[in-house]
Amino acid sequence: MKKRPAWIVSLITWPIVLVIAFPLLWMLITSVKPAAELFSTSPTLLPKAITFEHYARVLQDTPFLQYFANSMILATSTTVVVISISVLGAYSLVRFAYPGRETLASLVLFTYLLPSVVLISPLYLMLVSIGLANTLASLVIAYTTFALPYALWLLRSFMAGIPQDLESAAMVDGASRMGAFVDVVLPQALPGIISTALFTFILAWNEYLYALVLVNSDEARPLTTGVMTMLISAFNIEWSLLMAASVLMSVPLIIIFAFFQRHLTSGFGAGGVKG
Amino acid sequence: MEPWRPPVSSPISRRTALGVLAGAGAAAALSGCGSSDSRTTLRWWSPQAAPDQLKSYKARIAAFEAANPGIRVVFEPTSDEGYPAQFASAFAAKQLPNIVTHLPSFAAQNYYAEGLLEPVDDVIKAIGATQFLDGTNDIYRTADNQHCALAIGNTAVDMLWYRKDLLQAAGIAAPPKTWDELRLACQKMQKPGLYGAALPYGMNAMTSLIFIGFIHRAGGQIFTPDLQVAIDSQPTYDALEFYRSMREFCPAGASNFSWGESLTAFVSGATATGIYGGRVLANVAAQNPAIADAISCTVYPTMSAAIPAWTFNDFPCLMIPKGAPHLAETKAFAAALYQPEYYIQQLHAAPGHVLPVLKSVPTDPRYQANTLIARYPAEIDLMTRTAATGHNLGQETSAHRPNLKANEIIASNAIAELVQRVVLNNEAPKPAVAVTAKRLAELMRA
Amino acid sequence: MPDIALQRSGLSRERRDALLGLLLIAPTVLVLGAVIVYPLLSAIALSFQSVYTPTLEGHWVGLANYRELLGSGGFWAALLTTAIWTVGTLTLQVLIGVAMALLLHQNIIFRSLARSLVLFPYFLSTVVAVLVWRWLFNDLYGIVNHALMAAGIIDAPVNWLGAMPNAMLSIMVVGAWKFFPFVVIAVLARLQTIPEALYEAARIDGAGPISRFFDVTLPQLRDVLTIVILLRTVWDFKEFDLIYLMTGGGPVNGTRTLPLIVYQQAFGLNQMGMAAAYAVSMMLVMLVFMLAYLQRARKAAA
Repeated sequence: MKKRPAWIVSLITWPIVLVIAFPLLWMLITSVKPAAELFSTSPTLLPKAITFEHYARVLQDTPFLQYFANSMILATSTTVVVISISVLGAYSLVRFAYPGRETLASLVLFTYLLPSVVLISPLYLMLVSIGLANTLASLVIAYTTFALPYALWLLRSFMAGIPQDLESAAMVDGASRMGAFVDVVLPQALPGIISTALFTFILAWNEYLYALVLVNSDEARPLTTGVMTMLISAFNIEWSLLMAASVLMSVPLIIIFAFFQRHLTSGFGAGGVKG
Repeated sequence: MEPWRPPVSSPISRRTALGVLAGAGAAAALSGCGSSDSRTTLRWWSPQAAPDQLKSYKARIAAFEAANPGIRVVFEPTSDEGYPAQFASAFAAKQLPNIVTHLPSFAAQNYYAEGLLEPVDDVIKAIGATQFLDGTNDIYRTADNQHCALAIGNTAVDMLWYRKDLLQAAGIAAPPKTWDELRLACQKMQKPGLYGAALPYGMNAMTSLIFIGFIHRAGGQIFTPDLQVAIDSQPTYDALEFYRSMREFCPAGASNFSWGESLTAFVSGATATGIYGGRVLANVAAQNPAIADAISCTVYPTMSAAIPAWTFNDFPCLMIPKGAPHLAETKAFAAALYQPEYYIQQLHAAPGHVLPVLKSVPTDPRYQANTLIARYPAEIDLMTRTAATGHNLGQETSAHRPNLKANEIIASNAIAELVQRVVLNNEAPKPAVAVTAKRLAELMRA
Repeated sequence: MPDIALQRSGLSRERRDALLGLLLIAPTVLVLGAVIVYPLLSAIALSFQSVYTPTLEGHWVGLANYRELLGSGGFWAALLTTAIWTVGTLTLQVLIGVAMALLLHQNIIFRSLARSLVLFPYFLSTVVAVLVWRWLFNDLYGIVNHALMAAGIIDAPVNWLGAMPNAMLSIMVVGAWKFFPFVVIAVLARLQTIPEALYEAARIDGAGPISRFFDVTLPQLRDVLTIVILLRTVWDFKEFDLIYLMTGGGPVNGTRTLPLIVYQQAFGLNQMGMAAAYAVSMMLVMLVFMLAYLQRARKAAA
């Protein structure tokens, strides 16, 4: 259903979006400025000269691409694992009745309450003892446990909002519980699933403290710690390189998310849900 | 990735696809494991990992590996902020690196006292104790008369940087030597758009570290040589008074200044003086070449001519964790880092900021063959000499016992808080200093 | 398939259902049980000891950590500061989040790109975000002061981060900027599934856009907002990186929240036991809030 574009709303919305994304714009501009233009006391928006040397340096002189690949693998794996587990769990919480259901749900959230700082050392010790020190797998495990509670609760709330009519109808027609789940519930829960997947991906993409402690070798190091430890030290910040690296870290995600946004909405409006 | 389509095929295929993806993801993730290399692997940690420095390290590693085919060295960057967390976990899980460089001296003393480091006297001997600048390794001497670490570079962290052109324009002939002269100079040079100084007043380590220097330049100390709390004394009040009086010559944002902002304030030309190490040279050359010929540095002024200069050197060091495997190879590599050809390369990666600790280097033509070092010989020479006789909270003077709690004291922000309370909040100095003294005593006892 | 296996097992319908339900939540429980329970219990155990962080060696001190914690003014002051920060930034996050979600739900031009750009603050690394904002806020070369002065709104640079209440307000705003996309995405996803028919019915009844929002949209959003507010409250309460890097807890202790103390105790002062005590206290505060909040939400929904 192609509606005509809402021009007035666009005129209100886009300026706000640009203000919100202004730091990205600023980072972009700074990353193509020569170092000599960085700290002018009369800051200018447009660079006097444009250079791509910082991007070249980041890509050639640093293990940036390896870090990027690691982050991608890490975030994607975590997302897949978390979504698989939490989709099932959320369905269980909203459509089934068994003793201890609410307590279980609350306990799951309870694990989420403790600040991660005090969990690091015991967690690291545990991972070392099973031989996973310094691997991406250890990060996937750690991030899964942090993302799981909120993914579960978020998906639970999305699924709770799906009326039971269609499922019941499908089961009356002879579908099994799981069949109804896959054919009826999942499609309707898709916006919620994609949102939760986005959050999980970003959480895994951005986590710093755990990546710092659990992984020390460049082979498994993700972008957060890689870029930070390389370009930021107590006495010196490599500003231009940092801006270039940050743009490189952000722009691919923007493109990927823009792509997914399209599929967040196509065809899942009122759809087959009776009013 | 394919756009998602509503299920027309059996649901099993989609679930299988998800499973395969998860499996592939897990397999790929797991493949990030350590390699199946049969060589002896040495792990080297350092927070100094900027791209230029990385290049110099790689060169040293490559040459070493070529000369020692059975050994492989892996460099792993750590961070100045994050190393306590990384180390705690590494020590607890016995996942120790073989060699750690560029951490401050007081970290080394702290870890050694807890039995976490190997003494490095063998390495010093291998390089030759007389090769080092006089006294440069004294700060690492331990209670049991060994060395917990050795110097790998020096940094004169709190030099007074100044703009010769601005001093001249204000009619000041020579850079200030006392606090009164400094205050007067800032007053004369300050005008709309240009501040006198870039001192830090933020709630962070820089403020603590810099202010400790000011207490010493007033003739005082934080602890007595016996490590009794001595901050509650007249020089501290003098230093606080002076620091307060300098607030008006610093930018408004100085109350949140840390290293980066303070450095940039001077480099960008917003302040007439700065307080920093040799990074200024490289940053000015890259970010504000227009003032490159107008900058110079001198030892930071003291309260009066009678009080000797005191410079903060965090003494970046090389240490060897205890319990890491392959001790002999580690010591060999440690000594190899000081081979002049490669040592000079490391120094060139941060010219002026990481200064040589070996006697032969400052006059070595290879060392001098660097644009910045060649351009600012007087400043580099001054910083090299000053840093070698510098101090830090870990050992405030040569007469002081090593202070093993220096790290915790800085991390507690006790001194930064003192500065903020008295200067920003205008609280009365005496009670504030008394509270700080009490906190310091507690920290020493803990 | 597990449900078909259960069907053949001969159990009653309800029992089969309950077992299937348990089976579906089993992976969650297993993962959390295997990975997080040990560190959780470890942390609680640590809080009763005095532990030197680098070696994790310590000795039992019973309730001494808690006594010191509750007796010192530091904990209570930090609790108040944390509460102020949480409430402030959460309010902004929800208000801006819902507003943006409503706007982005409309059929604006280049909608996918707009939605993606709005997500940008959330997936930018906190370290980089703070560095950029500190630069923007800088009174010497930052563009915020420059623009405000050029527009004549202020005539001298404002000290955004080094004075109170500016520092608290600044971190609230930057926190809102950083995390409001979470609210946007969750609300947007829910908005997609509100049946158009409801709006039609309201329109036919003569309701304008504002009453359509309050009578149709808001009730439909209640469930998601309840969860989002709960999750964001917990997350904001625990937030460390943003505040630590932005102000370090200063000026003095104006923005010193509990997570900053936990980190300082753990890795600055090397007192892992005390850090654990603070962490457990934080957890108890959040637990009380969480239980009270959920109970109220359940009553409101019933």
